[in-house]
Amino acid sequence: MFELTTSISNLRHLRASDLGPYDAVYLGNIYCRRYEGNLLERPAELREAVGLVRDQGKRAYLTTYAAPREDALPVLRRALEAAAGAGAEAVEAHALGVLKLVHDEFPGLSIHAGNFANVYTDAGVEVLERYGVSRITPNYELTLDEVDAIAAGSGVPLEVLVHGKLPLGVSESCILLEYEPTWGVRCPDLCQREVFLHREDWALKSVGTGILSGRDVCLLEHLPRLLTAGHRHFRIEAVSESPAYRRDVGAVYRDALARALAGDVGLDPRWSQTLGAHSKVGFCNGFAFGKSGMEYVSPGR
Amino acid sequence: MTRLLAPAGSPEALQTALDAGAEAVYVGLKGWSRGGARGELDWEELAAAVRRAADRGAEIQVAVNTIPKPAERAALFAAIPRVLALGVRTLIVNDVGILAVLRRRFPELALTASIGCGAQTAADVAFFAELGAAAVVLPGTIGPAEAAACCQIGGITVEVMLHMVEEFLLLGKCWMPSYVHLKPTALPGGLPDAMRQTGSMKRGGVGACFRICQQPWELTTEDGQRESQLFPSRQLSRLGDVAGYLAAGVGVLKLQGRSLPPALLGPLVARYRRALDAARAGEPGPEAAEPTLPDQWTVVGR
Repeated sequence: MFELTTSISNLRHLRASDLGPYDAVYLGNIYCRRYEGNLLERPAELREAVGLVRDQGKRAYLTTYAAPREDALPVLRRALEAAAGAGAEAVEAHALGVLKLVHDEFPGLSIHAGNFANVYTDAGVEVLERYGVSRITPNYELTLDEVDAIAAGSGVPLEVLVHGKLPLGVSESCILLEYEPTWGVRCPDLCQREVFLHREDWALKSVGTGILSGRDVCLLEHLPRLLTAGHRHFRIEAVSESPAYRRDVGAVYRDALARALAGDVGLDPRWSQTLGAHSKVGFCNGFAFGKSGMEYVSPGR
Repeated sequence: MTRLLAPAGSPEALQTALDAGAEAVYVGLKGWSRGGARGELDWEELAAAVRRAADRGAEIQVAVNTIPKPAERAALFAAIPRVLALGVRTLIVNDVGILAVLRRRFPELALTASIGCGAQTAADVAFFAELGAAAVVLPGTIGPAEAAACCQIGGITVEVMLHMVEEFLLLGKCWMPSYVHLKPTALPGGLPDAMRQTGSMKRGGVGACFRICQQPWELTTEDGQRESQLFPSRQLSRLGDVAGYLAAGVGVLKLQGRSLPPALLGPLVARYRRALDAARAGEPGPEAAEPTLPDQWTVVGR
């Protein structure tokens, strides 16, 4: 058994998405309070979203802001109440204060520590275990060997990003707002556009207040290795992607994980065709192999 | 009593900071501080710094704010008794795991959760208080009203980085440099095979994050828009809010800049000294322009 997750920011994207390949969905946008229809800001819509996910037989998780300020905490409390009441099973906390808040005030919700919680070592896992975390996404700067070592020494399952845009940072300001007059597009529609930043052969993706990798992290060829290491929780990071991306990429990984778990480690050539069709500027491995995040290392090298 | 905490990246900068009125000075321990070798002291310099500060009734705090890997951690912990023997009692750390282990193994240490720990709210401050941190550093983007909420949390001192470079991506939540470049470098004084990940701002670097956010980028959209894009950054100065932070209960006014040369550091510390003294006396702040450092004092220079 394994779990494949993805993230969806608002009701519009949720309704347009085929959740078939996924076992669970993180609801809400972690980057910006002004994001279009951000479920973290709309308790009624969040309740409806949790219901939609659960009606499809999937688990609903709530994510939370990567770097909240004081005025976001009452909003998050309302979202937590709505999510818990509607049957969400877990909350992803990136800020350590939010993690403590969920632990102290919402004991019925499982806690997942997100990548922005900055768990880099086994010592960090030990701290968060005191707060009852049931899952941790280690910081994405860790190599797979480091992730394996943490997993081997800990009783807390780890979640691994296997495909999608790697989150590289969060900001309190938006670089797209200045283009409102020249583009004739206003917030919150600005970041619904697909925006890339290029320099030399570097590429980043902007979501306004967040920066993601331009290249898609792809660990398709390394799924057998991840399963052998004992990992069972995998994420497709598709918060800024189209419903078609979410559906097609998820289907590839669902198929590949199921086959790898059954001992079939072959790669179906159709998989790479599908992933390639959805990749705008190519693939990378993130920090999986100790290289800079934008490099791609084939298994033979 | 609210204290002024200044940076120093060299013995000369330390003397300058003390002369300008800092009540505490933080320095990097060679090999273990984020920001790199240009702003670090070796053991001999650290010992001299502690003596010099003590002569002035000031305190030296030591930043050990990289996140060593498990194998490297032993070398760090082995160095702590030597730090204590010098008379240092406050360490600034950058990772909850390191903080918890240091707290357990060296209870005589006062541990500060650095700005890279990402605390911004009272809930964050409560987390670090519960973890046993003696202090937590908030960025200067947190104004006096928000700081006041943080100061309501008992058992922990709230520090605010009143003068800093506000980069586009938040400190402690940026992996843009290592996405583009990652260069393992030998760890001074560490294990033979220990390597620091130069390029990773959380794991430290030899003064280099490759200034990815300072480069001009070409921004493109799916419908063909093309723009030249610089990531915004600015020098953040809260000189005019010193009285507000004191009223909020902030315990330490901290300044960023271990790479600042003495000629720039001295006037900066002196301005905040005057503002703090005026606020303590209930007098209006000094008629000084907000301190502005040269443009070249950018992301790598802090």
